Amino acid sequence: MSRNSNEWKERPQFPQTHYVSTEIYTSEQIFREEQAKVFGKVWIIACHESELVNPYDFRTFNHPSGAPLIVIRGEDNTVRSFYNICPHRGNTLLYDPVGNAKRITCIFHAWSFNAKGDCIDISRAKQGYQDRYECKDAGLREVKTSIGYGGFVWVNVDDDCCSLQEYIGDAMGLLDENLNMPLEVFHYHKAVVDTNYKLWHDTNSEFYHDYMHYFNRITGMIQPGYFDRKYTGYPNGHASVGSMSIKYDAYEGSQARGVGWPGLAPGGWVLIDIFPGMTFNLRTSVLRMDTAIPLGPNKLLIEFRGLGLKSDTPEQRAERIRDHNTIWGPFGRNLHEDLLGVKGQGLAMREGTDSQWVIHGREENMTIHDEGGMRHFYAEWSRRMGRPASEPMHAAASTQAA
Amino acid sequence: MTVDQRHALTELVCRSCMTLDERAFGAYLELCDPAYRYRITAYSPEIRKEMTWLEHDKAGMQTLFTNLPRHNSDQSPLTRHVTVYTVTQDDANRRARVVSALQVFKTTLDGGETELYAVGKIEDDIALGDDGPKLLDRNVRLQTRMLGIGYHIPF
Repeated sequence: MSRNSNEWKERPQFPQTHYVSTEIYTSEQIFREEQAKVFGKVWIIACHESELVNPYDFRTFNHPSGAPLIVIRGEDNTVRSFYNICPHRGNTLLYDPVGNAKRITCIFHAWSFNAKGDCIDISRAKQGYQDRYECKDAGLREVKTSIGYGGFVWVNVDDDCCSLQEYIGDAMGLLDENLNMPLEVFHYHKAVVDTNYKLWHDTNSEFYHDYMHYFNRITGMIQPGYFDRKYTGYPNGHASVGSMSIKYDAYEGSQARGVGWPGLAPGGWVLIDIFPGMTFNLRTSVLRMDTAIPLGPNKLLIEFRGLGLKSDTPEQRAERIRDHNTIWGPFGRNLHEDLLGVKGQGLAMREGTDSQWVIHGREENMTIHDEGGMRHFYAEWSRRMGRPASEPMHAAASTQAA
Repeated sequence: MTVDQRHALTELVCRSCMTLDERAFGAYLELCDPAYRYRITAYSPEIRKEMTWLEHDKAGMQTLFTNLPRHNSDQSPLTRHVTVYTVTQDDANRRARVVSALQVFKTTLDGGETELYAVGKIEDDIALGDDGPKLLDRNVRLQTRMLGIGYHIPF
């Protein structure tokens, strides 16, 4: 039976943990708070160590808390990160996304910095500042940086944060054996989609949407073991999904797979979601890594990486590339469908559409179509935000009343 | 190379785009040699690597087209615009190489708004057989790497 306006607005008949208000996807106020309370406090993947092979190699990264960053390997091989902001007049220091810079020199007034963030030259310093200001006052703002879990470079803009290991805890345990060899990025692309970052992470946190994927229906859902896969939640909002055996040859056009991945059973598939927007996805012969970077409440930049083994032969690498792009490339079967889905959510839930609730009510003993992965995420989100996801404006309303 | 020969090669490239625009996949495959190989490639400055985003032989392209209705896809039509830049004919090997500029436009179904979706080049090797020129090897070399939600039909 269809519903009238009042019925449409009624809260779902579930516990508050089992649904969220769509205001968490549309509110500019909540988005700004998330930048500070969520993204400004957690470890985020900026790039992979294989993108910084040599001393002075750098990558730039727009951190989801808002700060533009430089990630650079020093002469001592240590990877450090700094704001990509000149302390003089606020100009961008490094314009290119990648490069090699023994000396980082601002194009504006030629102030220079080394790969440790030290200011090493202020042009005509004595003439202009006499003894009032010198290099020791003009270092770059350093951001905590750590490498781990497959060689990814993680950054945290909170000086008082816990260590990366404390943040991840046991969440990466399912991939321990699979990521202990040097990896290399072979695929990188970005997508900007009009949707909320949490909706993308939701898509990576639930498999009920396999109904959207013809590929997953015939290679996974109708195969033995599919419904045995289980979600496991970990502290800090992370979650993993156990493996099964995917029957890839059920999809017409799939090729026999010979390369595989060390420690992964043939046809295996392991997925780990790291709060608040990163996903390790190991399948066939490829590790895919998504990094969600919200640009606004309804605008999301996603960085997609595909990785193989650094030791790959050209033939092995070519097979990994084929495996990756058949499913996950910009022309792949599944990625387009996933992005189409969250774009549709963004369209339907954008501010002013009278969308109300998103339901996470499926309970199937935490197996593959249970929506517990999302419930786990929103419990952590609510804790960090100080707002229940099912009633997010409640905290703000109380504050205003006070 | 005669004007007629160049015209035939140019028309082959244009017809390949028109047939894909019209989703006339059978007609597209008729333009291809049995040994046809198709790729979409791009260079990523971010990771300093060449990337191959799609790669199929003729049978693989046929399968891709066959599977299309089974997938959920953006139905916004594409318009491929090509300008043939250079045509080089190798009479001894009965081959020609055609390099064209490519622009791909996407038009929304709702309202018909058109946006530039991608730019790049098409590098074609063409077999010059007795029954006319056929596409032998195509590399769609993209400059554009941000393709939004992506697309299921090759450029």
